[in-house]
Amino acid sequence: MDVLPLLATGFGHLFTPVNLAVLAAGLVLGMLVAVLPGLTLVMGVVLALPFTYKMGVAPALILLTAMYVSGTYGGAITAILFRIPGEPMDVPLIWDGYEMARKGEAALALGWSLVAALVGGLVSAVVMVLLAKPVAGLALAFSTPEFFAIVFFGLASVVTLSQGSLANALISLCLGLLIATVGVDEVYGAERFTFGQPFLQDGVEFLLVMVGAYGIGEVLTRMGTGFAAEGGEAGSGAARFRTAFPRLSSILGMKATFARGTATGIVVGIVPGAGATVSAFVAYGIESQYGKNRAALGSGAAEGIVAAKSAATASVGGALVPLLAMGIPGSGATAIILAAFLLHGIQPGPQVFVANPDLVYTVFATVFAGVIGMCILGYFAIRPLCKVLEAPEAIVSAFVVVFCFVGAFAARNNLSDLNVIAAFGVLGFLFERYGFPIAPLVLGTILGPLAETNFMTTMVSFDNDWTVFFTRPISGGILALAFAGLAWPLAKAVLQRIRASRSAHGQPG
Amino acid sequence: MPSILRLVLPHGLLLAATVLLYAVASRIASNVGAGRIGPDAWPKAILVLMGALCAWEIVRRLATRPRGAAGADPGEGNDAGPPLHPGKLAAGIGLVIGYVVVVPWMGFFAATAVFLAAFPWFGGTRRPALTAALGLAGSFALVVIFMRVAYISLPLGAGPFQELSLALLRLIGVS
Repeated sequence: MDVLPLLATGFGHLFTPVNLAVLAAGLVLGMLVAVLPGLTLVMGVVLALPFTYKMGVAPALILLTAMYVSGTYGGAITAILFRIPGEPMDVPLIWDGYEMARKGEAALALGWSLVAALVGGLVSAVVMVLLAKPVAGLALAFSTPEFFAIVFFGLASVVTLSQGSLANALISLCLGLLIATVGVDEVYGAERFTFGQPFLQDGVEFLLVMVGAYGIGEVLTRMGTGFAAEGGEAGSGAARFRTAFPRLSSILGMKATFARGTATGIVVGIVPGAGATVSAFVAYGIESQYGKNRAALGSGAAEGIVAAKSAATASVGGALVPLLAMGIPGSGATAIILAAFLLHGIQPGPQVFVANPDLVYTVFATVFAGVIGMCILGYFAIRPLCKVLEAPEAIVSAFVVVFCFVGAFAARNNLSDLNVIAAFGVLGFLFERYGFPIAPLVLGTILGPLAETNFMTTMVSFDNDWTVFFTRPISGGILALAFAGLAWPLAKAVLQRIRASRSAHGQPG
Repeated sequence: MPSILRLVLPHGLLLAATVLLYAVASRIASNVGAGRIGPDAWPKAILVLMGALCAWEIVRRLATRPRGAAGADPGEGNDAGPPLHPGKLAAGIGLVIGYVVVVPWMGFFAATAVFLAAFPWFGGTRRPALTAALGLAGSFALVVIFMRVAYISLPLGAGPFQELSLALLRLIGVS
């Protein structure tokens, strides 16, 4: 088993003074963005990206991975104490965590949240280490039809898991794929959609789409609907907050809940496009269906906290598996980590385990150290984190916009990119406003070139025989899964209509 | 705006854009032999799917819109989010676009100082002294962080603004 020596090497790279400082900075920043009003985890990781341009690749990945890990925890504090979910993934914590706080058990609720994050994070890290290399090995045997099928599956998952209209999600995805075609195409060298503009010949950087749509689009949405009142009052009572750990016997008594939440987080995290939020909601749903104490869920039961938090943190390890093993991001934050890899000239995927194993295992080591560091930070930094809630949203948002522009400009030192990012900012706002999800747009822009190259190469290699995608067992199987995923929401809607019509006519269902 | 038009406007605009882009894609030059797919095939396939989805969504919305309620806006229930403050939104978009326009000749420091002061003001933080101080101090701090610490080369501006930027860089030790 060569994993342990490689992991030890990863820890060796991580435990240098500079990298440890970067790790600590990443953990603090991740918690801050998860707590700060108007900032989400994905936006926070986007904003940190420009600072990694001049870094070495290892510190850059350590910073972003640490932010990703700790960003899954910070919002739990505000959700439990103030009923303010820092991130969408923290909404289930309101249902039980805030209820516990109202009963005077806030410290214990925070303790359960911390233990759940620790267990979920560490177990998923172990699974990630064990799973990533075999998956990468499997991927090495793949040819272009299989890679196209995997990318298609990833894109289909993003669409399927988007909330709201399936048609709007597909339109958003199509637009992302279309943006990815701008510029000189890789196979034939033909110019596409450049409209005579020289700066479009190099294509539209997915970073501009991501930063514009996520960052500036979100700020415009918040400004349009009115920023929160100046300086939240939530942090004013910060001095009295603390965390109290549950007893070991209580933790052991809840081992099935820990297992269900963690397993759900890992599995959902691996599915491309599904991140911590989906994991937390699915795990809470499973607990409310099968948990021993399911009747008490929603009224201040610790099981609700454990299920949601262990799943959210476990999704981190899960989401890193497809990113590192196949180059397919499993969540919004891993899409930005993918950007960091690409900006440093490294393409994640099966080859990275051969060419840069040190780097891969440094990322793994960062997840382990990040989970532990996150819990230490979450325990001790609770008071200052609560004070952060007093920051006025309008001021924070102004800085977010400037960070977005600097991030976009610094990637290529091109002033034209500022126009592009502003345009995608407005588009992001319009998407948000009219119910088009942004994740498919961004993922389409990132994965579009990969999908097209593998599709076109297959068509050239197999004499334009498109049936090859379906007749090869692996690609056919993956495509079948993808189409089933796309068809499921439609089938579900039809079934619901049939049931509703039967019950309306008084027939047994 | 008539409610039916508002109901189908986003998808209608996207459909129109799709048709235009398909026409552009049809003119993509390639030297591909007969029977082989060229560089226009992939974007055309995407455009066909996108156009079909937009058309389907328009038809679906028109077919399922509530009828008979005079003055009711069927689009509101489907897509519209929380109520908008059009003035604040216009100010936000204007400031973002304005920042992009002025940064090449005002330079990063001056443009950012104005932006950091104006954005919170229009966002509701109506304290002139605070926003002005925030603009200046915030912009200075960002110059130090980006140009001194992260070594990112940011626009210096033109004319007197360039002089100002250069003086600032000398002050923080970046020559």
